Parts: sequence; structure tokens; C-alpha cells
Amino acid sequence: MDKPGVIMTRKIKTPGSSTRRWHRGIGVGASLFVVFLVITGLTLNHAHQLGLDQRHLSPRWLLRWYGMGDTEALLHFSTDGQWLSFAGSQLYLDGKAVTTATHGVGAVKYGDWLIAAGAKELLLLNSGGELIERLPWERSGGGNIEAIGHGTNGSLVVKSRGKAWVADAELLDWILPAEPPAAIEWSSPENAPAELQQAIASHYGGKGLSLEQLLLDLHSGRIFGWVGMLVYDLLALVLGFSALSGLVLWWRTRGNGKSNGRP
Amino acid sequence: MLMGVLLPTLAAADTVYETQSDFLNRAFAGSAPQTRAIWLSGEIKQSVRQLLGHDYPALRLRYWCQAPRTAWVLDEVGKELPITVGVVVDNQHIESLRVMVYRENRGGEVSTPAFTDQFNGLSLGADNALGASIDGITGATLSVQALTRLAGLALFLHGQTGCDHDA
Repeated sequence: MDKPGVIMTRKIKTPGSSTRRWHRGIGVGASLFVVFLVITGLTLNHAHQLGLDQRHLSPRWLLRWYGMGDTEALLHFSTDGQWLSFAGSQLYLDGKAVTTATHGVGAVKYGDWLIAAGAKELLLLNSGGELIERLPWERSGGGNIEAIGHGTNGSLVVKSRGKAWVADAELLDWILPAEPPAAIEWSSPENAPAELQQAIASHYGGKGLSLEQLLLDLHSGRIFGWVGMLVYDLLALVLGFSALSGLVLWWRTRGNGKSNGRP
Repeated sequence: MLMGVLLPTLAAADTVYETQSDFLNRAFAGSAPQTRAIWLSGEIKQSVRQLLGHDYPALRLRYWCQAPRTAWVLDEVGKELPITVGVVVDNQHIESLRVMVYRENRGGEVSTPAFTDQFNGLSLGADNALGASIDGITGATLSVQALTRLAGLALFLHGQTGCDHDA
């Protein structure tokens, strides 16, 4: 009971106070995210005028993050005056992209042909880089190609699971001789001329990542993969809740204002 | 739905239905003949281009011949990735056509024998067209077309090898 002359204060629970607390908390917490989205969104809206699609970034760590390949991981093989180079999934002949080939192992010249060996296939090319045949390696019970080279009589030899397989003259069949060739010269990577390496690196790596693409991925969360997208989805739901809670609060206070006789 | 988002996305992988050695064992009852090769040049190259609508991505194709039968391992792009197909031609007719490797995410129904059995017995007409139409599969149109082109290619190449007349 209130005593005369004493002002008692009582904590009045205003309608929606818990909603207001949530709304305030979410608003503060998400404000940085919202500001970030506003900045990236506004910038993207004017990407073309700002020339963002024409500006590229190529720091190695960023290209690696995007899985755009390490331009340092190139392999070059000299084949009697011509260079066969592996860069990611691309095969180059004298700096010109000719076909796809992965996990480069070696390359040799065989008669008029060039033979490029990936871990799981051989590629037969003519001296102009045209693909004669692509041979999946299905010998040696699923083993990969480990090396390619020439036997003493110039025969083509492939090493797989530690064993030396020898091709017939037309490279149509392979045999596993009881006695491997006495001396095999295995193909090994070499240092190609600098301008060739540069040409391949430029072609393989491209101009890099456009600034527009980077901003798009930051704006959507995709830069962090599916985790980033999930986090952005959750933040979007949180913002949605914030908007709804704001509506609820407005509706409730609107009703309170009217009942106090205020216009 | 949350679990679906949390589970890692599975990368598309090749589905291998038959290896080359298994295919050849099946085609030649365990005793595969020596490998031969046919060069896709000159008029053969032009005919191949007409059959496929493009050049075959190789200058040489290997095949196996035990007269009057040949066996071919051919590749053709369905939607985006190549489909590897093994075709056995006997006396100018397709004895069997099977998908050996399927790489796409969709349309794998063409790999079922229920679909590929349609090719059995087919031959080429005068205009290098298959002797019968192939019933398509909804959602696998491009794969069906790829297999149809390869069937025609195998029949055409069989005719170029002279294997029918080999002793």
C-alpha cells in the first residue's frame, strides 16, 4: 500500500518490453552486417560505371582461395626442340594450349609424335599439337602412370606400379616384359624459356579475379563457401525477425498512443 | 533442410559401368583380338563430321576386329561431358551398345540396358542414317542423341575397316 508523502516507484512492465529488448539487441548486433551489405550493394549497383569488371586482382593467396590454380605449379618437358607443358588441366605445346590433360607426369617424342603422360592417360599428338589419340591408362590393375620414357631401342616405356610397360611400334598395345629394358631414359621436368613460362602463366591464370566478382561474393557470402552462405542466410533471417519485431512494436505503441488521447 | 545444407556437397563423379578390358572380353568371349587403328582423315573425316555434326576429337581411333565383328570404344559429349560407349558391330548390324562411362549428373537412364537394347540389330541406311528411330528418355535428350550419333559412327567405321571380309 502506498504511504502518503512517499513516492513509490514500481517497475511497470510495458507491453512488448521483451520484444523491444530482442529488437534492440538484434539491431545492434546486425548493424555492422547491414552497413557492410549497404556498402557492397551500392557499389555493385554501379559496378559498370566504376569499372569494377575491368579491374582485376591477382594476389596468389586470393587466386588459391578461389581455386584458380597455382601458376607456379607448371611442369615443362622438352621433347626434341618442342616444349610440352602441363598447367592444371591444360596441356600446352610451345606455349599454345592444345588440349586438356591432368596430373602431368612426363612427355617424350616418339617418331613424329609427341606423347604427353598424365597420371591416368596418355595423349598422342602430332608435331602441330593436334590430338591423335587419348589413351586412358587401364593397364597395371588401376595403377597410375608414374613415368614415361624411352627404352634402349627407342621403344616407348611407361612405369606404373613400379613396373615398366613397353608399347608396340604403333602404340596400340602394351606388354610387360619379364625382363624390363636395360636402360630407360625417363622424362623429367625442365626449366622452359622464361617467355614461354610467362605466356603459359598468363594464359592459365588469366587476368585474375575481377573486383566485381569479389564484391559479389562478399555481398552474398559465397566467398566463404557454403559456410558463408549459411551464415548469411541466418543473418538474413535475423534481420527479417528484426523487421517483424519492429512492426509488432510499432503496432503496439500505435494502439497505446491512441488510448492516451494523443492525436 | 538444415541437414541438407550442412552436408557437404558431393562432387559429380564418373560412373564406370564397364572397363575396356571387360568390354572386349564380353565382345569377343574372352579372347580379344589385336588392336587396330583407323585414321580419321580425308573422306572418312568428312563423313564422320556429317555423322556427328563436328569432328571427332581424335585423328585416330582404335578398334578390334574378329571378322565379321568389330568393337569400338567411342566418346561423345551429351550435355557437357563425354559419354564413353562400347559398340559391337557384327555383319553391319549393331550387336550391342553399352554405356561404359557416364559423367553427367543427369540423364543416366541411357546407361540402362533397357534403353540401349533399342540399338540392337540396327544398321545404316543409304544416307548413313540409322535404320530405326530411337525412343527418347525425358530429361535425357542430349544423352540419347549422343548415343544415337555414336551408333551411326560405329556402323560407318565398321564399313570402312573391311573387317567383314577378313579371314
